[in-house]
Amino acid sequence: MRILQFFITRIFLKRWILVLGMILLLFLANYLSFTTARSIISTYQGYQEMETLNQEGTFIANLDPDSEADFGKFKIDDTQKVYEYLNNNYTYALRADGFVTPLDNKHNMEVSFNYINEEAYKLNQFKLSQGNQLTFNYNFNKEKIPVLVGAGLATTYPVGSNIEITDPVTQQLVNLKVQGVLKKNTRRSNFYAPNSKNYFNFSIFIPVNEKFIQSAGLDLHVNSLMDIALLDSTKEKSMNLKEHIQENLGLEFNFFSQQENFNYFEDYYVNSLKIICTITFILLIIIVCLATWNTLVSIRLMIKDFTINLLVGLSYSKLRAIFYSYFGILFSINLAILFVITAFDRYGFWLRKDSTFATYGIFGLISKDWIALLIVLFIDFIIGFTIVELTIKKIKSIPISVGVLK
Amino acid sequence: MNSIIKLEIQKKVFKKKGLSILNDFELEVERGERLSIIGESGVGKTSLLNIIGLLDTKYQGSYNLFGSSVKDLSQNKLAEWRNQKIGFVLQESALINSLTIEDNIKLPLMYANIEKDQTVQEHFKRIINKIGIEPILKKKPLECSGGQRSRAVFARAVIMNPQLILSDEPTASLDLENKEKIINLLFDMNKEFNTTVITVTHDLDLANRHERIITLERNE
Repeated sequence: MRILQFFITRIFLKRWILVLGMILLLFLANYLSFTTARSIISTYQGYQEMETLNQEGTFIANLDPDSEADFGKFKIDDTQKVYEYLNNNYTYALRADGFVTPLDNKHNMEVSFNYINEEAYKLNQFKLSQGNQLTFNYNFNKEKIPVLVGAGLATTYPVGSNIEITDPVTQQLVNLKVQGVLKKNTRRSNFYAPNSKNYFNFSIFIPVNEKFIQSAGLDLHVNSLMDIALLDSTKEKSMNLKEHIQENLGLEFNFFSQQENFNYFEDYYVNSLKIICTITFILLIIIVCLATWNTLVSIRLMIKDFTINLLVGLSYSKLRAIFYSYFGILFSINLAILFVITAFDRYGFWLRKDSTFATYGIFGLISKDWIALLIVLFIDFIIGFTIVELTIKKIKSIPISVGVLK
Repeated sequence: MNSIIKLEIQKKVFKKKGLSILNDFELEVERGERLSIIGESGVGKTSLLNIIGLLDTKYQGSYNLFGSSVKDLSQNKLAEWRNQKIGFVLQESALINSLTIEDNIKLPLMYANIEKDQTVQEHFKRIINKIGIEPILKKKPLECSGGQRSRAVFARAVIMNPQLILSDEPTASLDLENKEKIINLLFDMNKEFNTTVITVTHDLDLANRHERIITLERNE
């Protein structure tokens, strides 16, 4: 420890510019590995969620990018017709997220109302920390609506409590009864950007049944159509719905099958992930080469100091241990910086009252952050090993000689 | 006979230069002996010192130091012996410029992990007083004169009270007064502690003040 302290304070830090350069290079390597690892983990999580819909007979709606949509022209009668048609002929999963509503809560966060029908609810299989799962057979306008609340609302609205509020989609005063609390960080990935997530810590899930849909306004009707998933259907039936929507709303929808979705994911996401990984790998190699070069420059500058130390009792094995400890400290500094940046980034969502991304985690970091940090740690081991062994090899290739000191 | 060094070198090859030196070289040195090695530049004087000082083990031959075969010693053991049994008296530039003179001298104590030892502290003070470098202890090498630096290098070489002192051109860049001081310090150690002294030098006057002189010649 004393020798390590000596080398750091009296030898390495005397060339602080080289140490700073090394810290910056290693931080770049860590940041790059971290963002890539987190992106891969997040995409994988999103893909796992998508897989629940990747079943035979499932067709997912997607508004054609060329479809001209004038949302102002829609009439409630037209959307009602579409939903009547849907209810009579299809089994479908419906959900609509993000209807932001002012609702008092301990954290003063915006609360978003999310609407979900029974089929979508079965597919999502939300895990609860308290209470019971949603029920869908309530009588709208006559009974209290059972709802699930996000973990962030559990203190203000515990299981069994009631919330009286004007529902943003029906514009009616409704009485909600909290039936259960979602586990912390319950989330949903975007179908078309699996690495993008919405967190439901400040959400209220409202069960949607046919009567609710009939009472709902255009917002819910149109928004729900955008992500609607037909279940146990056929290509032909999905085409019929496509025509029906086009006739009534003038919107052109595509209905993608499981295989088409999978192909889309393969073509777009897997390939882009491969490209990201390759670029990251190449950049890491370049950074490791620069870091090694930096170390070798340091060695050249410090060869006299090393030789004197070797003369008076330093051995190569001690020197190796010193270098491993030194790089261990540098990596620890970088990991700590990475941790602080990530934690502050997560905390920023709380400060900005951004309920969609406010999350709970150990020291502010959620599981995918910790996994990404572990991956970075593993990559650091490889980088550290490479640099230290190359450095020791270089030092050993320079014969220790009293001649160096003349 | 009380030999501490028994060295037989068949040859020492520098692969990069395609050079072979110290062919069929033999050396035996007794405890307490004062030996000087002279010869032209490039004949292998410093290489020989590297071998004797356990810095270089890549040669053909055998080497017994303090009764042990060097080839059987691990790298850690070699480092330990360099720390505890051998002192290197080198030119005045052989100091770490970022350290104070005191830290430079105490460097071997750190590797032996005896810096805080009371007896060692007293030994350190005795040496410093004897060598007369107390006023410069807190100075950096570049703030000192050549003579002061040479004495600091000497102090570092003897701080562990080694059995063998290897000196390489110890007076090369010194004026007469400082040269005398270093030579006297070297021989005082030899007399006081029966320390073996081996000196590589071009300086015939210095060489002549040793008990034995070896002249290295270029291989034909």
